[in-house]
Amino acid sequence: MKSMHKEKRRANIVQNVILILLGIVVVLPIYIAVVNTFKQSDLILNDPLSIPIPPILDNIISVLKNPNANLMQMYGNSIILMVAGTAITIVVASMAAYYLARVSTRFSKSLRIYFLIGIMVPYVIVYLPLCILLRNMNIPFGVPILIFVFVSGNISFASFMYTNYIHSLPIELEEAASIDGASQFQIFWQILFPLIRPCTVTIAIFVGLGIWNDFQTPLLMGQVKTITVGIYTAVGPFSANWGVVFAYVFFAAVPVIVAYLCAQKNFINGLTAGALKG
Amino acid sequence: MKKKKMSFGFAAPAFVIYTVLLVIPILMAFYFSLNKWNGFNEMTFIGLNNYLNVFKDSRLGNAVGNTAVISIVVVLVVNVLGLGLAMLVNKASAKSNIFRTVFFIPFVLSTVAISFVWKSILSYNGVLNSMLTALGQSGLVGNWLGKQGPAIVCIILVEIWRTLGYHMMLYLAALQTVPQELYEACTVDGGNRWDKFRNVTLPLIIPGMSVSILMSIINELRMYDVVKIMTDGGPGYDTETVVYNIVSQGFSNNMVGYSSAISVVLFLVIGAISIFIVTKMSGKEVEA
Repeated sequence: MKSMHKEKRRANIVQNVILILLGIVVVLPIYIAVVNTFKQSDLILNDPLSIPIPPILDNIISVLKNPNANLMQMYGNSIILMVAGTAITIVVASMAAYYLARVSTRFSKSLRIYFLIGIMVPYVIVYLPLCILLRNMNIPFGVPILIFVFVSGNISFASFMYTNYIHSLPIELEEAASIDGASQFQIFWQILFPLIRPCTVTIAIFVGLGIWNDFQTPLLMGQVKTITVGIYTAVGPFSANWGVVFAYVFFAAVPVIVAYLCAQKNFINGLTAGALKG
Repeated sequence: MKKKKMSFGFAAPAFVIYTVLLVIPILMAFYFSLNKWNGFNEMTFIGLNNYLNVFKDSRLGNAVGNTAVISIVVVLVVNVLGLGLAMLVNKASAKSNIFRTVFFIPFVLSTVAISFVWKSILSYNGVLNSMLTALGQSGLVGNWLGKQGPAIVCIILVEIWRTLGYHMMLYLAALQTVPQELYEACTVDGGNRWDKFRNVTLPLIIPGMSVSILMSIINELRMYDVVKIMTDGGPGYDTETVVYNIVSQGFSNNMVGYSSAISVVLFLVIGAISIFIVTKMSGKEVEA
C-alpha cells in the first residue's frame, strides 16, 4: 500500500514537470515579445530574456508616430469589421435558422444542406473569383463590402449552430404567442432570440475573433488596412528592427489577450464548439 | 388552431449574401478552371488542360510535398500530444485550470502576431542566434528560415505550438464524456492504467478524436499565414504551401484559370478527406 502511494506521488511529480516544461515552451515566445517591446534594439539581441527596468517606450512611440501606419485607422477598421460582421452574421443566420429549424418542407431541408456546403470550402478558392465579380459589378474594395464578405463566410457555421440549438427548444412557447396574435417577426425577436442567447455568445466569439485575426481576406481583397494587414505592411518582409515588430504585435495581441483572460470559458467554448458540433 | 405558414423571408437575407459572395464565386472558380485567362484579356476555353498541368507542375509538386510533410507531422504530434496533455489536465483543480488557460493562449492570437514573434526569434539576425552566440555556442548558429529543411521544421514547430492547446481542449471535452463508473468497473476487474486507456478511454473518445484529427488536417491543408510571414515561401519557392502557391499564381502571376484549377482540386481533396473521416469514424462510434 505504501509503495503504491509512493509510486503515485512520483507519477504526479513527473506529470507536473512535463506540464511546467510545456507551459514554459508555450509562454516563452509571448514573454520574449512582451519584455522586448520595452527595450532598446541592441539590448533585445544581447539580453532578450531580462525584464526591462525601467521600461523604454521608444518602440511603442515610434509605432504610434509612424506616418505610414495609422494605428488608429487600423484599430478602427478592425473594430468596424468585427462588430458589423459579427452582428450581421448573427441577425441573418439566426433568422435563417429559425426558418430551417421550424419548417420541414423538402425545400427547407435542401436549403439546410445548401448552407452546410460552405463549411468544407477552403476559402482560397473564393478570393480571386470574388475580386473579379466585384470588379465587374463596380463595387469598390474596402471596409463596407468586406463586412459582407466576412458574413458570407460565416453563414454556414452560424446557421448550422443556430438550427441545432433552435431544434432543441420546445415549440409550445411560440405556438402560445402565435395564438395570442403575435406576428412571426415578433415571436422571433421577442421570444426566441433571448432564448438562444448562449448560442449567440458562442457564435459571436467564434466569428468576432475570426474576423479580428483574419489576415488573408483583407490582404487579398484590396489590402484593407486592418490591424493584421496594417502590421504586415508596416513591418514589411525584410525588417529586422525587432523592437518595433514587437510593439506592433503588442498592439495587435493585447486586446485579444485581455478579452480572453476576462472570458476564458466563453472563448474556449466558442472556439471549440464549431468543431464539436460539426 | 390556424397555423400560419412561415415565410422564406426569414432565410432570404442569409440566402442572398451566401449565394452572391460565396456560392457564385465558387462556381466561377470551376468555370475559370476550364479556361486559359489572365483576368483581363479574352478567355480561351481549354477544357481540362489546366488540370493536366496541375499534375505536371514541379513548383506545385514541391508545394504539395511541403504541405504533406507539414500536415502529417503536425497532425500526428498535436493529436498524440493533445490527448496526452488533455489526460494530464483532466482534473478539477486550480492547477489544471491554469495550465488549460495557458496552453490555449496561442490559439486565440492572430497568426500574424504569432508569426512575427517567431520570425524575430528564428531569423538569422534574430533572438535565438544571438542567444547562442552569447552562450558561446556560435557553432550552433544557423540560418533557420533561410534553407528549405530547417525552415519547414520551423514552420512545423510554430504550427504545433499554435494549435496544440486547441486540440488539447477538443480531447478534454471528449474525455469528460467518459463515465467515471467505467473506470471503476475496470479497476474492479483488475485492470491497470493501460487497460483503462485501451478499453475504456480510447473507444469512447473516438468521435472526439475524429473531430480533432479532421480539424487538424483541414487547418494544415489551408496553411498560408505563417508561411507568408515567416519565409514568404522562400528561399525561392522552397517553403511554399499549396494555398501559398494558389495565391501566388492567381494574384501575382495573373494565372486565373490555372490557379482556379488548383483550388478546385484542393476543394475536392478536403471534401473527400472530410467525408472519408466522418463516415469511417461514425461506423466505429461506441455508445457510452
